[in-house]
Amino acid sequence: MAIQEQETAAEPVRLFRINTGSCNGCDVELAVTSAVTEFDVEQLGCRYTESAHEADIVLITGPLTVRARDEVLRLYAATPRDRITVAVGVCPVSGGVFRDSYAVDGPLERHLPVDVNIPGCPPRPLALLAGIRQALEVRRARRAGEPIREPGDRKQPAADNFPARGRLSFDASACVDCRMCRHVCAAGAIRFEEGEGGVRLTLWHNSCVFCGLCSHYCPTGALSVTGDWRLDHPAADAFRQVERGEVPYQPCAGCGEPIIPAAPQLLHAVFRRPNPEIEKLKNLCPACRQRMSIGVPRR
Amino acid sequence: MTTKIIEMGPHQLALEEPMYFRVQLEGDRVADLDVMPGQVHRGMEHLVMRRNLYQNITLLERLCSLCSNSHPSTFCAAVEDVAGIAIPERAEYLRAVADEIKRIASHLFCCAVQANAIGETTLFRRVMEIREIMQRAKEAIYGNRMDLAANVIGGVRYDLTPEAASYLAQAMEQMKKPLDELYLQFGNNPVLMGRMAWVGVLPREAAVECAVVGPVARACGIDYDVRKKSPYGAYDRLDFEVALQTAGDVRARNMVRLAEARQSVSLIEQCLAKLPVGPLSADTLPEIPAGEAIAKSEAPRGELMYYLRTDGSDFPVRLKWRVPSYMNWDALKVMLKGEPVANIPLIVNSIDPCIACTDR
Ligand code: SF4
Ligand code: SF4
Repeated sequence: MAIQEQETAAEPVRLFRINTGSCNGCDVELAVTSAVTEFDVEQLGCRYTESAHEADIVLITGPLTVRARDEVLRLYAATPRDRITVAVGVCPVSGGVFRDSYAVDGPLERHLPVDVNIPGCPPRPLALLAGIRQALEVRRARRAGEPIREPGDRKQPAADNFPARGRLSFDASACVDCRMCRHVCAAGAIRFEEGEGGVRLTLWHNSCVFCGLCSHYCPTGALSVTGDWRLDHPAADAFRQVERGEVPYQPCAGCGEPIIPAAPQLLHAVFRRPNPEIEKLKNLCPACRQRMSIGVPRR
Repeated sequence: MTTKIIEMGPHQLALEEPMYFRVQLEGDRVADLDVMPGQVHRGMEHLVMRRNLYQNITLLERLCSLCSNSHPSTFCAAVEDVAGIAIPERAEYLRAVADEIKRIASHLFCCAVQANAIGETTLFRRVMEIREIMQRAKEAIYGNRMDLAANVIGGVRYDLTPEAASYLAQAMEQMKKPLDELYLQFGNNPVLMGRMAWVGVLPREAAVECAVVGPVARACGIDYDVRKKSPYGAYDRLDFEVALQTAGDVRARNMVRLAEARQSVSLIEQCLAKLPVGPLSADTLPEIPAGEAIAKSEAPRGELMYYLRTDGSDFPVRLKWRVPSYMNWDALKVMLKGEPVANIPLIVNSIDPCIACTDR
């Protein structure tokens, strides 16, 4: 019996890839996990297969184009019923930069069940391996009829201090509500909502393509790129993968209208060393600011 | 002789991307071929008009990940032309560095995939391992192994600190020997010669007729490289020779690629040596007036052309491309004619086809 078990354990788990119309970034990185020893899926006891019917885990890339849909669904239908499905990159989950095109028919979940998401654009090979490990855990738990084990320590190995472009982080105290980040974001990952007490920014990690353009154009450094790339998660948790922050309104020091005051970071960027006069202006609404600096505006 | 029609998809063709062929066979030889494109059509032409000029930098970088830097840098060059922006000299050099890094990685990937297509698994793994030096360098400098996010309108948004520059110089040093070895191996190794020499031949006249570009053209003796013919950015200040071969077969295409990869190493070294001090980018948020422009560059697969029209707003009115793979696909018909079925995956991969670029 023990021998039997060992043999089953040695049987590799088969990975099958489906490209639904990707930019090929994710696919080239997946190729790395079959070619480069450091990232080889063999270290997880996995092996790639070219036949759909052998698939234990299906890795899907791309935003799912209209043209590819039928072929993708045909291939997927040929995979065994108990396969685990992994969405690789943000494309299958949200469409990534390709969302809102007539030629894209995602998100993938509308057509087939997804078990694990690996955000990234493209995810680095270690992120791919982490996601595949997560898929193996889902597979194990499902077979044993057990709940999925919480992923343990998600911290990245200390030796791996590559400055990879990972999750974006938002510091509401530096935000001046200029919304430049939303303006430059190709993926539509950033949303602003005006609430009772302030303006709330939400950034979806499953839409973000980690380009860092928002942080490049952010005048105050409120948005910054972190090195945190461990973003794989069970697909059921997709909507929890967000960065949020609320920028509170303050009453205008002149008229009491709720305003978003200029953050000190902005004043420093513009004036280098803001003097008390300027400090006073920052707590005024535009109308009061005008009145105070140039008198009553003429109409 | 019996005529038969077979269909081949990415799993038979050893392609990373979904492309389907209908191949007409006479006996066991290829007589004709139909390419059935469209699987990677993401509606780019429609998407770029619904994104503003800034968003398009990120979107276009994902038009194709293998030549991902060529797209935004050529797009930015077109925008800069419309707006009459001269980018700082340092930015010109840094764009060249990014482009050449991508070229090395792209060429090596193409050679690796071909080794895989003929069952040379050890060579496939070796080339991929060598390519890892570039992948690691890309991640260390740009933060991602495929999409560099190097460009902005008016320049670049990354810098090479002295430490980063010396790291890159060291990576370049590491590339030299393996690239020289690969060049000899792809040129002279009897096993590879047996599979790649006189295979998938594209005669020079046919090459001219199909208007092929890039390594596919240069392997037929066509001396055309945008970096030399109409230098852009820093290329008029950099020293290199156009890599040429004459046989027009699979072997010649790979010799061109490996010679170019080696040259890219030298180009990067020249950039590092000459890198002028100064700003990375002109204006942060320049005014883009109404106008039109064409920008060209030498992408890893050949000449890439952008046509841009603007109307003074933030959104492009029109953006059109001519991507190198488009013409190269056409030449496949000539290359494959009379070849045995077993050679199809190798020959198809030898043009380094980019489906993401072609289907858009
Ligand atoms: S997630 Fe990014 S890298 Fe992956 S296919 Fe989509 S655009 Fe390309
Ligand atoms: S990094 Fe910023 S701009 Fe880029 S996709 Fe993510 S949220 Fe959008």
